[in-house]
Parts: sequence; C-alpha cells; structure tokens
Amino acid sequence: MDDIVIEFKDVTKVYKLYKNDKARLKAVFNKNIKHTKKMAVNKVSFSVKRGEAVAIFGKNGAGKSTLLKMITGVTFSTEGEIRVEGRVSALLELTAGFDPELTGRENIYLKGQIMGISDEEIAELEKGIIDFAAIEEYIDQPVRTYSSGMKARLGFAINSNIRPEILIIDEALSVGDVNFKKKCVEKVNEIIEREGVTLLFVTHSTSVAKEFCSRGMVMRQGNLIFDGDIDSAIERYRQMLDEDREIAKSKKIFTEKKQ
Amino acid sequence: MEGQSIIKEHIQWRRQIRKLARADLIKTYSGAALGWAWAVIRPAITIFVYWFAFGMGLREKAGIEGWPFILWLMAGIISWFYIRDMLNSGTMAMRTYKHLITKMKFPVSTIPTFVSLANFTVHLVLVLMVIIIFILFGYWPTLYYLQLPFYMLLMFIFATAWGLFGSVLAAMSKDFANLIKTLTMAFFWLSGIMFPVSEIDIWWAQLIFKLNPITYIVEGYRNCFIHQVWFWEEPAALAVYLAEMLIMILLAVYVYNKMRRDLPDVL
Repeated sequence: MDDIVIEFKDVTKVYKLYKNDKARLKAVFNKNIKHTKKMAVNKVSFSVKRGEAVAIFGKNGAGKSTLLKMITGVTFSTEGEIRVEGRVSALLELTAGFDPELTGRENIYLKGQIMGISDEEIAELEKGIIDFAAIEEYIDQPVRTYSSGMKARLGFAINSNIRPEILIIDEALSVGDVNFKKKCVEKVNEIIEREGVTLLFVTHSTSVAKEFCSRGMVMRQGNLIFDGDIDSAIERYRQMLDEDREIAKSKKIFTEKKQ
Repeated sequence: MEGQSIIKEHIQWRRQIRKLARADLIKTYSGAALGWAWAVIRPAITIFVYWFAFGMGLREKAGIEGWPFILWLMAGIISWFYIRDMLNSGTMAMRTYKHLITKMKFPVSTIPTFVSLANFTVHLVLVLMVIIIFILFGYWPTLYYLQLPFYMLLMFIFATAWGLFGSVLAAMSKDFANLIKTLTMAFFWLSGIMFPVSEIDIWWAQLIFKLNPITYIVEGYRNCFIHQVWFWEEPAALAVYLAEMLIMILLAVYVYNKMRRDLPDVL
C-alpha cells in the first residue's frame, strides 16, 4: 500500500499569450514572435500514494485546475517531471467531455471506448450509470438538449462507475440538488473505501472536503504553499483568505485616500 | 523529425478510430429527418447544377472527349466531394473535437484520421453509385476500374495528412480556417474537374493545373472510368504527386509535433 501513483517533480506550467491570432499562427513557423508569459503553476513538487484522498484548496486562478489537467494528461507541463500510474477518471468540468450531438447512451459508450473499456464491460455498467444519473427517457436524446444539472449528473455517473483507479473531482459536487449531492457523497465514499482508489478533490467548501479527505494542499498564485493533514490545511486556507482580504481592504483604503 | 509517436497512436487506437469515425458519421447525418439521404442529395444537386449550367449551355449535346458530359463530369467530380469535405470539416477537425483535447487524455493525432475515415465512407458509397449509373448508361465496368483503390489510397493519405496539418493550424488561428474556406473555390476551379486540362492552350496555366494534386486525383478517377489508362502509363505525373504528398506528410508531422503540447491551451 505504500506505492506512489502520482508524482510531481518541480513542475512548472507557463501559458504563452500572444497579441492576437495572427501572431500565434506566425509563431508556429517563427520562434522570435513576441509573447507574454503567464505562470500558472510554479515549481510544484508532491507525491500521492495509492488510496490517499487529497483535497486541494485555492482561490480562482491559483493553478488548481491546471494542476489537475496535468495529472489527467490533458495539458502538458512546461518544465519538470510528472508520473501518473493507473486509470484516471476526471470530473474536470460539468460537461466532462461529452459530444453534444450524440445521445447520452452513445456518449456512455464513446467515453468507455476512449477509456479503453470493452463494449461488453460498458454494457454491464450501462444500467448502473443510467439509474444513477436519473435522467430516464432523456438518455436517448442528444446531450445538447440536456440541462446543465443533467449533464453534470451523467458526467458524474459515468466517471464514478467506470471503476477508476484515480478519481479527480473538480467542483463537480457543487451542482445538482441536495438529494443528488448526497448520493454523490455516498458514491465517492464507497469508491474510496474500495481498496486502492486515489482521490483528488478540488473545492472551495472545506466541510465537504473534510468528509472525504485526510490530506490537504493549499495553492496560491501557482505556488504550493501548504501540504499536510486536512485540518491544518483548512486552517492555512482560511488564514490565507483572511490575509488576502486584509490586503484588498488596505488597497481600497489606499486608493480612496488618494482620491 | 519524429513521426513514430503518430504511427504508434494510430496502431494502438485503431479500434477507437473506427468507432469514432462511425460516431462522426452518425452525428453528421442522423439528426436530420432525411438523414442518410443527405449524403447523396447534396452531391447529386451539385452535379445537376454543373451539368445544367455547363452541359446544356456550353457543351450542348456534343459531349466531351467522346463521352456524355454528365458521365465525364461525374467521374471527375466524385473525388472532389471527399476533398472538399477534408478542406472544410477536415480543417476544422481539432476545433470540432476540442472536447477530446481539452477534457480528456486522447491521442490527438488520430482526430483528423477518423474525420477523414468518416468522409471516406461517404465517398465509397458515392463511387458505388457512380458505377451503377455508368452501368445504367450502358457502360459496364472495365479492367481499369481495378486501379480505383490505388487512386483512393493516394487521395486518402494526402487528404488525411492535410487534415492533420490544417486542423492544427486552424486550432491555432481562426484566420487560417477562414482562409482555407475561401480558397476551396480556387482549388475547385484550378483543377481539371470542369474541363480537360489538356485543352488549356497557355502552357504556364496548364502547368499550374497540373501541379495541383487535386488534378492528378481527378484525372486518375477519369483514367478508370473514361480514359482507360493505367497509372503506370503516366509516371511523371505520379512522381510529382508522390513528391507533393511526401512534402504534405512532412509538414503535417512537423506542425503537429511542434504544436501538440500547446493545443489544449489554445482551444
């Protein structure tokens, strides 16, 4: 049980911003085109063991989503080393990579195929997924006709039912009604308790995080400023929010004085 | 230059490529009431309009190269429908399927390939219909039809390489996507689809037509249906086409390898 499934070594992610589309097209063939750099993740190192449940806190733009995208293999690091082992299932955004023109059922199969699951295995999981998502006859309608709540439910149902080894949840639990939220929490707990599933959980809600996670990380402006047990992490996160509020307040007073 | 990773992705994901091509077809055609019929209606109307405008007006009843104009036109234009689809939906492939790039881990280089496969499936159906129409006109298949797969393969490889090249650039820049849309018309008229290239008197104009790879494919299809010429009887044209295809592949690999890591960030 001591093996490491996710390892980050000095990982940095820089987004290149060009003045416009034209400059970006030119840059494909000419590397001297001017651009500004935006540091999204700055020299972050950590490792996660199999079966761990980690919460990641941080304000908008702190680099949490970029971090998760690098773990899923969607986005690539600019520098540093990333090692991830096992089937990653990510609830990155509400739509979770659905094809809007295909029906819900077709999307279940497509997603399964992309994850490398055989059709027979998907057929087995299909009923469970549809029941869990509770979208009933809508399952054979194109996903573009779904409400955002339905999309989120289907996304959660698929990702949590395809037997992931690493489950990544990014704010996905903040949608849906109270009942569905409760169902999700139960499902996540069930997955974690099953041996070997690793959970990464991004949220602003410290109480929900505390339900699943034993470890917490706090990010601020691309830096990992805290990594430790969940209670201390929540404390550090609150402290950071207070600090930022103080800074914002003093800035406001300063500009008001100036006027 | 590395093309291995692209080839590896294609081999590893061959099953998914097939499934995604199927899904792409279903998506394009099953939503509308007439559904699959659109795959045939659209080209049929295009052929009818060109036949009406050029066959009735300009070429009257004399025919062309000894063939009824409608058959001559069909034999050539059939490949254009696939090429046009690759210039449009092929170039937009990465943008259309951006959810595969930005929301999950996916072998991105296979996206233009399955879009191309989907378009090619429609092409196969159209070729079959053209063969049937030729039979209805009393022209039975000849031995020369056997080289159709050869020209299809050449066209498929070129167009799919274009798809990779064009769709990466179109993802980087909307200008590029618009440029290609605008140029589609030029590609059409600067190929030998509407008139025999050999009838052009000005030597440099004829050269431009002959350097257009689309002309080679169009003429190739006519070699099978109309001219009854084997592909090895035109070695110079074949060599030029193969050289252009190689350049296209190298460009596609270069651009893809260069931009692969940036794609999820710009889409």
